[in-house]
Parts: sequence; structure tokens; C-alpha cells
Amino acid sequence: MTRLEESGTFTVTSHERAWLKTMLAHPAAAEAFAADTLAKLREVLAPEAELDVARHLIEKARSRERQVYHPHLRPLRRLIAERQGVRLTYAVKDDREYTDHPGLPYKLEYSMVKREWYLLWYRLRQPSLMSTRLQKIRAFAAEPLDSHTAERAQQRIAEAIAARRTEAVIEIVPLYNAELSRILYAFSSFEKSVDYDSGGDLYRVRVSLLGDEIEYLLSKLRFLGRRVRVVQGDYLIHRMRESSAKALARYAEAEPEIEAAAPEERTS
Amino acid sequence: MAKESFDKEIQILRMLALTSGAFTRTQFAERLGISVHTFDKTIRRLKEVLGSMHQHLTQEQSREWSEAIRYSYYESADPLLLFLFRAKSVKASESYRLSLLLSAMDGQALTVMELLDICCSPPSDETATIEEMPMPDEKTIRSDVKYLESVGVIRKESAARPYRYRVNDDLLQALSPEELLDLYDYIDVMANTQLPSVQGYLLRDGLKKHLLRGQAQTHELEPFLYKYHYHSRVLDEAHLFTLLHAIEGRLRVRFLYFSPKSERSYASRNTNPLFERETEGKQQRTLPLKLVYDHQYGRWYLLGHGREGLRKYRLEGVTQIELEDAVDAAGYEDKQAELAEKLRYSWLIDTGKPVTVRARFYHTGLARNFVKERVLLQGQWGQIVEEDDEAFIYEIVVNGTTEIRPWLRSFGSSCEVLEPLQLRREMISEWKEIQSTYESI
Repeated sequence: MTRLEESGTFTVTSHERAWLKTMLAHPAAAEAFAADTLAKLREVLAPEAELDVARHLIEKARSRERQVYHPHLRPLRRLIAERQGVRLTYAVKDDREYTDHPGLPYKLEYSMVKREWYLLWYRLRQPSLMSTRLQKIRAFAAEPLDSHTAERAQQRIAEAIAARRTEAVIEIVPLYNAELSRILYAFSSFEKSVDYDSGGDLYRVRVSLLGDEIEYLLSKLRFLGRRVRVVQGDYLIHRMRESSAKALARYAEAEPEIEAAAPEERTS
Repeated sequence: MAKESFDKEIQILRMLALTSGAFTRTQFAERLGISVHTFDKTIRRLKEVLGSMHQHLTQEQSREWSEAIRYSYYESADPLLLFLFRAKSVKASESYRLSLLLSAMDGQALTVMELLDICCSPPSDETATIEEMPMPDEKTIRSDVKYLESVGVIRKESAARPYRYRVNDDLLQALSPEELLDLYDYIDVMANTQLPSVQGYLLRDGLKKHLLRGQAQTHELEPFLYKYHYHSRVLDEAHLFTLLHAIEGRLRVRFLYFSPKSERSYASRNTNPLFERETEGKQQRTLPLKLVYDHQYGRWYLLGHGREGLRKYRLEGVTQIELEDAVDAAGYEDKQAELAEKLRYSWLIDTGKPVTVRARFYHTGLARNFVKERVLLQGQWGQIVEEDDEAFIYEIVVNGTTEIRPWLRSFGSSCEVLEPLQLRREMISEWKEIQSTYESI
């Protein structure tokens, strides 16, 4: 295979072309390509078969697909590739608008949970790392940055990401070790390592995440419920305690004396 | 495409990816139901494969293996687990000859005899390597060409004999560099957000290498991030096309199944009876009807019809799969339709009795838009039936309450289950248990 790469031959199998043809049927294709590019692609792929996947595959618990492509994606990805600066006009949560803020864009991020694109950028005025929905960007234009400013901004980005990194340790309650696979699948979207103590048959998951990902981790912890417990991470522990107290308060308001044992929860 | 089965490698990789260094070699081997020797051998083989696929990784081979495949969001945009599929697509022992043939057919159409000539007189700088390689005969070249044509990498120039073959790279030829970048982005986005992914990742990988051979810099080709990916799911796509083929042809399949709850997930297929050991895997025979992907956990299921009726299997537990005989069309379609009906109200794959679940979601304060948006986004076919300033009521008919329960619980105190009463009680009891857990910390 290494040789194939060295020889410089681009190989593409019919399976791969069939996959591409199938994906070009998605409405996102119209936003991703200029009309004549799309026409050319469809012509080249005309002799290929399409994959039968959709007919035989059912997707469950999928988020509604709001957005796969966004018109800003193409121009913004080019600014990032050219390491250009940008001048942004955008709105925030409460719809306040910020006009003409200079910054350096560094990544475009798709949230699989919210099914929506975000621009990750470094704001030069009131410096900070920003994550702005493409949907909320009202206008933008390339803004040439001198190389010194650009380099410094890149460095700040790396520092800010490192500073936001935090860790938590989550223990799998041994009673639920039989569900290990399911529990680890639920954590598989995080950067993590697992320790196993064979004496106590105890699994501990050390999750490394950025500060703004804590809410997502919390929703996973509530999702798994009593199967896991946070053993390191004061803020997470505080929030789990608060969650359970508040949830119980909701139920207590309605009917003060309900007591029942929950049966086992299984999906497989 | 190669006949080789990578079951053992896939099982090991999956476990490595999920447990990231939790186990020692012995513990690993025990859990996979293989000897430490076999484990070491498989790891060596994986390292070889990985080394030949990702040259940039070779200098890091001294690093721990689990470290090398560890998921790191900001550092790697390439799905590392993919390399196994790449290894699969061309037989290793023939890669030298195949690469010679492909570069010969890159840009010009050649006959089998012309290709044979090229293989017998390779460029002079290649002679050192060629000495170890036996000279191919016409039959070998014909079978190589047949193989390359069958996977679609080359195609016949015209119907006139003798056939002339060339590399099928129309995709590249048709597009300008600027358009290729758009194509690359589209493949990247679709492989990461849609199913299936593996073919798209392979295509992305090929195109990326092509663009890097040209003007492109690595950072230009990695502008996108995807948050919260179940990256090990690509391993579960290993059997996908075999099973789709079985469904399309109404074929029964036979496989060795390891329920994910069992401790072991692979059994060595020893021929020597002395090494025969008890395994917990069970031989299964089933008629595949549908495949289900569960976005909640990032897992694949096979739903089939066996002697006992409907059976559900997790794809990660399926190994040593073999195709068998076909069944007749009429009965098959009935079974498929019956299954589709049963799954209509499955939150995931539960085919139990449908119940109506009602829950009140509170959306006051900061969480106001967030809670409602999430319910609308993830609540599947459920509806918001009542709404005021403080809260709204969400209603859904689902098969059993087990599968929807974790989702409802994930909203914390923003969600109060109203009906059925049994589920409401279970929620209270579970919150109490969680509360007592954290009181003691």
C-alpha cells in the first residue's frame, strides 16, 4: 500500500464511488457544490450503482437533521486554510448583536448532538476563544492579519485550549460491570483512559475534556444514572447532587409519599 | 475484499479503543478467549499493518500501542481505526505487482500483454526489490487485472479486443483543483455525519493523499471538527456489507455470536482438538431482515428471523460470519413487513407492548430554549401537546419504557415523568439512589 501511495496513483473502488453517488442524493449536495460541479460529478458517477443501505437500515434515536451544510462553510474553510483573519458581525444567545469584530478563525465544528455548525475563532478585541453558530453570523469579510499578530493569536489559541482542559474520574458501580460494554460505548465519544483494578473488579474512567463540554458529560452521567458515579471532579459532583435534589423536589411537590423499587434496565 | 478475516484484529481494536489501556496482556487475552501468545502475535500484525499505512506513526511505535490509537480530539482528524479496512482492500503479498500495474495504467490504456512486458522489465531503480519477486506469468497478470476490474479501480477502455485497461480516475479528471477541494470537504462532512461511513473515510483518505501530493498542506485539509463522535463505530461496519448483501439476496447467515454481556469476545478457531477450549460464543443461524443503528449509544444491531422467531444481535458480537442458502421472496417480504410494524414504536429496538409516556419539561430561566430545542431535536416521533410559560408536556407512544428512560433522565430536574405511573415511580427511586450516592462523597 505504501508503494501505491508513492507511485502517486489515485485509486478509487466502485464501492467508494457508489457511496459517493448515494451521498450526492442528499439535499446538502446542492449547498456544497457549484451547480456545474454537481452536474459534472453526477455525470461521472452515472454508470455506478447506488448503495442499498437506506432500504435495509433503520436509524433510531437520531437527532432531527437540521443542517448538514451551511452556505458560510465554503468561504470560511478557505479563510482557515489561508490562515486569514476575519471581521465578524454576529448575534449571541439573547440576540444582542456584535458588529465588525476582528479575529482569527481556526476550525469549523459540527455538533452531532445539535446537528449544527459552529465557527471556532479567536477574538482579538477583548481576547477570548469564541464558538459562534454559523446561523448567527450575520456578515463576515476577510481581514488581513500581519504575521506577528497571526502567530501570537495561534499561540494564544493553543494556550487557551490547554487552560480549559479539565479531568474527571468516573467509577463504574461494580454491580453493573455486566453492562461494561454499553457504559464504555456511552463514554467513547470522550478522550479518556480506563483503569482496571482486578482486586476490586473496579473500572475507573478518566475523562479529559474542555470546560465547555462539561454540560454534555453531565447529560451522559444523568443518562447512565446509578450505573456510574463521579469520584473526582468537584463541580460534577456538586451538579449531580443538585440535579437529584431538584428532581426529587419536583416529584415531591406533586405526591409526597411514593416509594418503589426500579426494576433492571436493559436494552440488549 | 481480501478473503482474509480480520475478526480477531477487530475485536482487539474495539476493546483497546473502548478500554484505552485498562488491561494487561494477560487480562486482554483472557477476555478475548485467546492465549497471550496469540494476542502478542495479533498485536504485532496490527503494528505491521499500521506501520505500512501510516508512515508518520512509525517513529512513534515505541509509544504504547493503546496510546497510539487513543482518541485525541484536537490532534487527529483521521479516523485511525480505519487502517484495518485499508489493509483489507489490497492483498499485502501482491501489493508490489499491483502498484506496478496501476502506475502503468495511470493515464494510458494497456492490454494484458503490454502489462506483462512492463512487469517483466520494471524501471531500473526497482531491480533491487524485484529480485525477491518471482516474474509473473500471463495467467497471474490476467487474474490481477480481473481483480482490479472487479473492485472498480480500473476499467475497460472499449469493447474491442484485445481489451485495454486504464485506471478509473474520471472523478479526478473531471474536476478542477478548486472543485476537488469542495469534493474533499463534502466527503469529509458526509462520512462524519451520515451512515455508512467506512467507504467515505476510505475515499477521503485516498483523495487527501492525492491533494497532499499536489499543492495542499495538511492544515488546509483539516478545517473541520465533529463533536462527540462514537469513533469505534467504524469497526462495527466491518460486517455491514456482507449483511446488506445477505438481506438483498434473502440469504441465511451463520456466525459465532458473543453476547456483549459475556466476558469473552473472541474464540480462536483451533483445528487441533488438544487446544479445543470451552468458549462462551454460540453458533447462530439466522435470516437477516434489517439493520438498526442506535445513535444514542453509537451501536449497530442485526435483526433476524431464526427458529425461535425474531432475534436481535449486536454487530460487535458477530464473528466468523458465513453466507448460506436463500429463502423464497414472498415469505421474506412478509417477515420484513411484520418486523417494520413491530419496530414502529421502538425507541431503539424494543418490540414489547406500546405504552404512552407523558412527561413535563420545565423550561424556565437560562435553560429555556435549550430544553425545548433538545426535546424537539431528539424526541423522535413524540409531540409537544401542551405548553405554557413554565413548562410543556411531551407525549410519545413507545414499545416499553426501558429504552426511553435514560434519555428522559438525562434532562435531570428539567423533566418530570407523569405517565405511566410505574415509570414515574422508577424515576423517583433512581433519583433517590443517585442522591444517596453523592451524599456519601
